[in-house]
Amino acid sequence: MISVNIKKGFDLKITGAPSNVLETLDKPSHVAVLPEKIPFIKPRLKVQVGEKVKVGSPLFEDKRNPDIRFMSPGGGEVVRIDFGPRRVIQEIVILLDENEAYEVFDQVEPQAFDSLAREDLVKALLSGGLWPFLRTLPFRDIADPDKTPPALFVSLDSLEPFQPHSEIYLNGNAELFRFGLKILNRLSPCVYTTVAHANETVRKRLKGEITHAYKGAYPAHDPGVLLYRIKKTPEENAAWYIYGQDVLHLARFFKEGRYPINRIVSLGGSSLSTRKHFKTRAGVPLRHLVRKSEIDGSTRYIVGGIFSGCHGEPDGYMGFYENALNVLPLPDKPEPLAFSRPGFNKLSYSRTFLSSLRTTALDGDCNMHGEERACVNCGYCSEVCPVDILPQFTLKALLVDEIEEALAHGLLDCVQCGLCSYVCPSKIELADILTQFKASYYRER
Amino acid sequence: MLHPLFDAVETVFFTPTIATASNTHVRDNLDLKRFMSLVLVALMPPLLFGIYNTGYQSHAATGRTLDFIPVFISGLTIVMPILVVTYAVGLFWETVFARIRKHKISEGFLVTGLLFPLTLPPTIPLWQVAVGISFGVVIGKEIFGGTGRNFLNPALTGRAFLFFAYPAHMSGDAVWRVIEKADAKVVDAVSGATPLAIAGLAQAGDNITTLLNKAGYTMEVLVVGNLPGSIGETSALLCLVGAVGLMVVGVASYRIIIGGVLGVLATGYFLNMFAGPTSSALLGIDPFYHLILGSFAFGIAYMATDPVSAPGMNHSKWIYGFMIGVFTVLIRVFNPAYPEGVMLAILFMNLFSPLLDYFEIRLSIRKRVANV
Repeated sequence: MISVNIKKGFDLKITGAPSNVLETLDKPSHVAVLPEKIPFIKPRLKVQVGEKVKVGSPLFEDKRNPDIRFMSPGGGEVVRIDFGPRRVIQEIVILLDENEAYEVFDQVEPQAFDSLAREDLVKALLSGGLWPFLRTLPFRDIADPDKTPPALFVSLDSLEPFQPHSEIYLNGNAELFRFGLKILNRLSPCVYTTVAHANETVRKRLKGEITHAYKGAYPAHDPGVLLYRIKKTPEENAAWYIYGQDVLHLARFFKEGRYPINRIVSLGGSSLSTRKHFKTRAGVPLRHLVRKSEIDGSTRYIVGGIFSGCHGEPDGYMGFYENALNVLPLPDKPEPLAFSRPGFNKLSYSRTFLSSLRTTALDGDCNMHGEERACVNCGYCSEVCPVDILPQFTLKALLVDEIEEALAHGLLDCVQCGLCSYVCPSKIELADILTQFKASYYRER
Repeated sequence: MLHPLFDAVETVFFTPTIATASNTHVRDNLDLKRFMSLVLVALMPPLLFGIYNTGYQSHAATGRTLDFIPVFISGLTIVMPILVVTYAVGLFWETVFARIRKHKISEGFLVTGLLFPLTLPPTIPLWQVAVGISFGVVIGKEIFGGTGRNFLNPALTGRAFLFFAYPAHMSGDAVWRVIEKADAKVVDAVSGATPLAIAGLAQAGDNITTLLNKAGYTMEVLVVGNLPGSIGETSALLCLVGAVGLMVVGVASYRIIIGGVLGVLATGYFLNMFAGPTSSALLGIDPFYHLILGSFAFGIAYMATDPVSAPGMNHSKWIYGFMIGVFTVLIRVFNPAYPEGVMLAILFMNLFSPLLDYFEIRLSIRKRVANV
């Protein structure tokens, strides 16, 4: 096991962490898939409203590579397909039957796995709709099935507030996880299984399997950050990655011969009264998840972590990749003379509030805490950037269309962690701007 | 027309509640208002002492009472008009440009508007204050695009303009104390010469420490700052208090400040090696005196640390601070026309900060594994 020390980054000590209790939720009445939230794909529908689907029936495919398919997370009837502006497919909603039917896929025992050819494995993953769990750096698009990656990162934990703990989804599933790693080993010559050094339980339980243990603040867990620390040649930039819970899905698919729909989802955020882990299924309605919580005042539903998650509506659904729901208060009234308070309870990266003397978690909300101003080159963004980009200089290069300069600064190493936006006292949407330029550079290639 | 001004005032009292719109849902409580108001807080000790000292010097020169309250009130009557004119004229320009460019008034001006009067001699005519701050804000900042795009420190640009345009009101021995025409009976024994002027006039072979002591400028007086000079610059001690405060909260770069102090000491000791009975007396001055003489302490604590005109890269900040120290001493020692070198040293190094950043960025890019 190699120890990786990540020096930069920032741990936001915010209240609302989910407890380690796992509760099983009952079956929701319907589930959905949100093609709009899956980056870069160009979906082509394979179903119509009113059509009957089974668990694991293809709902849509990616026009860029029709082999990449996305499956139904429920058996029942397609009751609604919502289109947004320019006919972007937002939601495909499935009303669940009492007894759901399952598509049947080939089962492969771990023992029989060694004789399976790599291309057959890729084919099986594609036809089972599991391929999209494998993604590739630096753009974080779905991996190209025709390529062999220089490395494949398995990221077990997330340091972002708040995501499911690996301890919980791995509980009782260590063998299944090992099987999953076996599958990944057939895809890439070099699989890096990474876990937080602080996560002793999992580190010990999977002792033989863990290759890298990282120490450091958010986003030290991110495959992009770890790759940045480990890589020696430019070829390694195209490494693939997969998140820990998704490895279990791959294993379950081959073991059971069914499209896996189980998900362990964490519920966090100070607006929720019940904060814990829930065993539920893919595409579950957010309302179903928060039923047990009382929510006061106006709130924001964040599907994913609070630094990079998507906006969710209370009527919305969990996404394909997200396994966390965080609910935080929205700002309600202006604070008089906010800038002059000693700030004993104000979250801040800087030392400009008395809260920097505290170590306990503090309440946070979705307030900008100020208006946008010109960049004054304070340098907080480059202090926190885990991959040593100089966001304040890169931003200026991008705004004058010096893409080459921005690329030289390491724009493509950006892991889109959102810390630069978080710390910026001028309230510039740095992470957004960098991410957008990175994505448009990818689309133009 | 006045909308940006109303808006600026309103947001001072009520921080607007804007919900985050992008995927970074939580934001730091620090905004530019607090960032800049911490500089204002750090400027309070030099400002209050400056007001007191201005009154004190005026009273001492004319033989009036030296009691605290009357002295402070005299100081207020001298300093407040300068301060008010600076803020009024400066805010006028800020409002005009905010209106034209359709953006909000940046809080950076609050700092510029307090720094500028503190660098002026108390006898400055108010119309020159207005002209100076106009030059600083318009030429020093706005024509380059406003806050964040100026490569010179606007307050120092304004001061440099006054220094070269109206030298009679900005230098010499007579400008540092306010003596009203009405109180004609100037006390002869008290000189209006600043310690730097005395040091500058020293002949070869003189010991400057002795000369300063003779004029009443002992080390203690120089540190506390009860002496004639620009309004806010005289007290090295209070500038140190402000500088430490700014470094503790992380608003001012400790690299620049410590680099500057090291630059002064290194150059001072280096020049000491060339000091002899026939050489210029300034070569032999105890380097620590450079730290407390003139406005070095004020300049390095509040002017050099302006993040916009300073470099953004960490090593560059060390070089930038160090070179400010070096040039301050070189100008003081080798350029008899300018007894004070801090202003020019900082403006000179402002010009170099983009270049320093450029080279450091090139070097840091070379260390990366390319990802294109």
